[in-house]
Amino acid sequence: MSNPYEVLGVAPTASADDIRTAFRKLAKKLHPDLNPGDKSAEARFKELAGAYDLLGDPEKRRRFDAGEIDATGAERPQQHYYRDYAAADGRDPYAEASGFADFADTDDVFADFLRRTRSARANRRGQDLHYRLAIEFAESIAGADKRLTLPDGDILDVKIPPGLVDGQVLRLRGKGAPGAGSGGAGDALIEVEVLADPRFARDGDDLTIDVPISLSEAVLGGRIRVPTPTGEVTMMVPKGSNTGTTLRLKGKGAPLRGGGHGDQFVRLSVVLPKPPDPELEAFVAGWTRGKDFNPREGVAS
Amino acid sequence: MTRQEFLARSGVVTETLEVWLEQRWLIPDETANFSDREVARARLILDLKGDLGVNDEGIDVILHLLDQLHGVRRILAQLRDDVGRDA
Repeated sequence: MSNPYEVLGVAPTASADDIRTAFRKLAKKLHPDLNPGDKSAEARFKELAGAYDLLGDPEKRRRFDAGEIDATGAERPQQHYYRDYAAADGRDPYAEASGFADFADTDDVFADFLRRTRSARANRRGQDLHYRLAIEFAESIAGADKRLTLPDGDILDVKIPPGLVDGQVLRLRGKGAPGAGSGGAGDALIEVEVLADPRFARDGDDLTIDVPISLSEAVLGGRIRVPTPTGEVTMMVPKGSNTGTTLRLKGKGAPLRGGGHGDQFVRLSVVLPKPPDPELEAFVAGWTRGKDFNPREGVAS
Repeated sequence: MTRQEFLARSGVVTETLEVWLEQRWLIPDETANFSDREVARARLILDLKGDLGVNDEGIDVILHLLDQLHGVRRILAQLRDDVGRDA
C-alpha cells in the first residue's frame, strides 16, 4: 500500500481538519456507490479509506508517524456496496424510472422499447435455454422420442418430428428458465444434429442409396433387399439393369411438409463375382456379340 | 432477515431506522423482511452521513438521483442484452 499522506494528497504536517477535508473531497469523487459503473473506484476508495482510517485517528497516526505500524495496518474488510445490489435482478423497491420517463412518452422505436421493458420487468418471462441433441439419420426421417438429460439432472422429453433436417431447432414451450411474476417460463430451444449415415444421401425430401447387384441379377433381374430408414424392403430389379440404373421406391423418402413423402432412389452398380470366375471368362471369350458392342461409341477419344 | 438482525448487521440504531423508514430511504418487503440490499443501502447512507459529511436533505437528493441512475443503468443493460441477442 502506498503512503497514506500521498493517497490523501496532504503534507505530513497537515492538521486533523486538513486531513478530514481532503478525505471528504476525494471520497465524494471515489465512493463506489457514486460511481456505479467504474470498477476501479472500489480499489481506489478502499485505499483512500484505509489511508483515512490511519491518519484520521490521532493515536494511529502517531504510531504510524513513529513507525510502529505500517500503512497496511488499517485495511478495511471486503465490503458489498449498494451498487452491487442495485444492478442485480429481482425485487427492487427503489427502482426509479423518472430519469428517462420522458423518453418513453415520445413515439419512436426507443420509446417503444422503454415501455416494453418497463412493463416486462415486473413480469419478465424466463430466459430461453439452449441445448444440443444428436440423433441418428434414420430417426430424423422416421421421427423418434428422445430424452435429454439436462446439466441439473432434469430430464426433457423431446419428440423428434419425422423429416427433421440437420441443424433444425425445436422449441419446447415453457421448458426454459422460470420467469418472474406472471411472466411464465422461457422455452427450451434444442438444436438437433443429425448424424450422417454413409449409406444414404438426402436431397430435399428424396433419399438416394447405392446398392450393388450381381451380374446375374443385372442380366436376369430379380428381387433384392434394400435398406430404407424405416427398415428393409424388397424391390424388383428389372431384367437388363445396368450400373447407374436408378429405381424409385415411392414414398420411402422424408415426409413432406403438409402430408405425403418424398421418394428413395436406388442407384444400382453391377459387381462382377469375386474371385474371377473361370466359367464366366470362358463364356465371355466365346461371346462374339459381346465383343461387337462398343459402349464408348459416340465418346470422343 | 428480521429487523433485529438488520440493526445488528448494519450498525444502525432503532430510532435512526424509524426515521429512514419514514423517509422511505429503506423499504423492507411486504413481510417486513430486510435483505442484504437494505444492509448495503444502510451502509451507503452511513457513509454519506459520516465520512462524506452530507446532511439529511443532501442524502435525500443523492438517493433519489442514485435510484434514477440505477434505473437508467438497468434499461441500458437490458438494451445491450436485447441488441446482442438480435445481432
